[in-house]
Amino acid sequence: MWLNMGPQHPMTHGLWNLRVKIDGEMILDCDPEMGYLHRGIEKISEDRHYNEVITLMDRCCYVAGFAWEHLYIVAAEQALHLSPPERADYIRTMCEEFQRLGSHLMWYAAFVQDIGLMSPFLYAMRDRDLILDLFQSYTGARLTYEYMRVGGVRSDLPPGFGDRARKVLDWLDQKFVDYDRLCLGSTIFRERCDGLGVLSARDCVATGVTGPMLRSAGMKRDVRKDRPYSVYKQLDFDVAVADGGDVTARYLVRMEEMRQSVRILRQVLDWLDHHPGPVLAERLPRWLGAPYAPQGREGYLLKRNYPKGVGFSSVEEPHGEAQAYVVNEGGEHPYRVKFRSPVFANLSAARHYLVGYHVADIPPIMGSVDICVGEVDR
Amino acid sequence: MTAAPTVVKPGTTPAESYRLTGELPMVDQAAVPFIEIETVRAREFIPAAKEAFSAMIVEQGQSKVIRPTFNWAGRNSLFPLHWGLACCAIEFAAAFSARFDAERFGIVPRSSPRQCDLMIVNGTVTWKVAHKLITLYEQMPEPKWVIAMGNCATGGGPFRTAYSVVPGVDKLVPVDIYIAGCPPRPEAMIDGILKLETLIRERKE
Amino acid sequence: MQPDDLAKALAPRLGDRLLGVETFVGTAGRVRFRPEAALDLFRAVRDELGFRHLSMVGGIDWVDHREVFYVAWSDDARQYVILSADLPADSPHIESATPVWESANWHEREAWELLDIGFDHHPDLRHLLMPDGYAFHPLLRSFKLHEPEELEVKQRSV
Repeated sequence: MWLNMGPQHPMTHGLWNLRVKIDGEMILDCDPEMGYLHRGIEKISEDRHYNEVITLMDRCCYVAGFAWEHLYIVAAEQALHLSPPERADYIRTMCEEFQRLGSHLMWYAAFVQDIGLMSPFLYAMRDRDLILDLFQSYTGARLTYEYMRVGGVRSDLPPGFGDRARKVLDWLDQKFVDYDRLCLGSTIFRERCDGLGVLSARDCVATGVTGPMLRSAGMKRDVRKDRPYSVYKQLDFDVAVADGGDVTARYLVRMEEMRQSVRILRQVLDWLDHHPGPVLAERLPRWLGAPYAPQGREGYLLKRNYPKGVGFSSVEEPHGEAQAYVVNEGGEHPYRVKFRSPVFANLSAARHYLVGYHVADIPPIMGSVDICVGEVDR
Repeated sequence: MTAAPTVVKPGTTPAESYRLTGELPMVDQAAVPFIEIETVRAREFIPAAKEAFSAMIVEQGQSKVIRPTFNWAGRNSLFPLHWGLACCAIEFAAAFSARFDAERFGIVPRSSPRQCDLMIVNGTVTWKVAHKLITLYEQMPEPKWVIAMGNCATGGGPFRTAYSVVPGVDKLVPVDIYIAGCPPRPEAMIDGILKLETLIRERKE
Repeated sequence: MQPDDLAKALAPRLGDRLLGVETFVGTAGRVRFRPEAALDLFRAVRDELGFRHLSMVGGIDWVDHREVFYVAWSDDARQYVILSADLPADSPHIESATPVWESANWHEREAWELLDIGFDHHPDLRHLLMPDGYAFHPLLRSFKLHEPEELEVKQRSV
């Protein structure tokens, strides 16, 4: 019997439909049905200026807007032969790591609620709001920031930001202990999650699974380490790895990643305190910089024949490895923008980690995958 | 005699200040003034009850007896459909979390459309999901309301030119309240629901 | 791994079906090949060069032809490689990569749906993002976007 779970179902956390073939309680086959949130971001991007695409990137993955902005910006700058000032690079890294914390806290809230625990949801959302407050203090928005620009970032951080950010980090550091006590200390949680949704490293590679799901299977692969972009080469951190590839392992990997993010953020904030400087490249072409340039800096050279180029970037997004491919044919709009969403690949492997388990196991397993439908459908 | 307020020394960690004062270290953010809203709602309760009961005694007409009571009960326990379409769904979830706590207005998301009387369309509606949205709307029992949350549900938002997006959910179902924002803050969503409560209070039919 | 190494390793396998290897910023190189060589190239790249992880499949609609590109990752070399083939605009089709990389499945469905690139011997080539029976291929350059007002007027007149 085929059973439809979605598109409106408390398990889905978004708009998609999981069709499962069941015999009694046993899952025999499954077929995720996507596209309910397909908004044609790649097509709209072809009609927009390079900086206007950033608006779409925030909405592409709405729990990790900064990571997607960063992804697109790295590729677009490569295609346009531009490079940002070093301080802007550090600010972007800071944004991305804070976003990782925010995204993982959102995942924690949703995942633990799927299992039936209500209070961790409230705790995680409370702490996530502290991070959103930080974002709000320098971008003005909670979810959709539009902060990064081709050639840098929009504005510098406000005074006193470092201290406020460190306070939040101190707070989070203590709360991680509580989170672990609430989940790993609970027998119910362990019995519900141990040995569930196992995906071996071999299957992960075959099906293109990346991110915490891949690392939970024991493979030490992280774009930030393997192919350092931005300033990750200068930063000291470890890659979180766990064994087993089950739901508990994914939980452990994500919790460890949050701790590592805090570690990275402390280094980045220290650097930012001691290295003031410009945050937007000096020589931007007028069509790129003028509408957004800060006051008094409008006098850029207008380059008529801007050289063509192709940009390819790969970023360790909170969900996994995201890629962007930007083709610049010399016009004001990108000729083609193509994105690779990590959740897209993680979901396409659903058959490998769902078949053989029970229907009641679907919410914890799919919760541990951490689905953001916005980036799957784009 | 009242106890003197605890003084927090500068340089204390957030956890210590929380232990001393019982306050979370909020950053640049005024908390929702929930005490004021509570008073207003308490004030509203008495006229509504008075109206209902005086109508029952004086008018003797059935509709005038039932309607205000029904409206009063309905608007104080709105059950929105629990589903997330896109970005606004994250703010929808945040509105039910610790800081904003929309449940204090009697708003409790339910997963089954049969138990709901409010559909919050929190995100972009595509043509692929359009008929499912209409099915869900038709499954909800009367009386029912629809809130278009955010720019996408209101008019397509940044995706209005896209080939797959419905430019505004009012092309599919009747909408009572539009909330602007991309996405609207949780306060804006709560405000929209309170505006809907005003609409329901004045409902005659 | 440099573009020269790629060319040296692949040339004996593919012969003149290998059109060249270009430098590409941030990757080991961009391998350009004839579409007939698809499966041979994929097998060689996966088994001999160690690019076991296919990251994405995408396409570009150029003025006179259509390009399909594959991005693969090698854990040993810690590098990406980009494989791209030019397909004729009138009937663009190429052999499916699913026998070599299972992860190509959904990516190829998407590329077929949005860019009208046929993938021969694909196990399950049906709509992924758009509803079944959707007749257009939106990412083609000939497909233009409209403001919704124009769309409404059109629908009314039909």
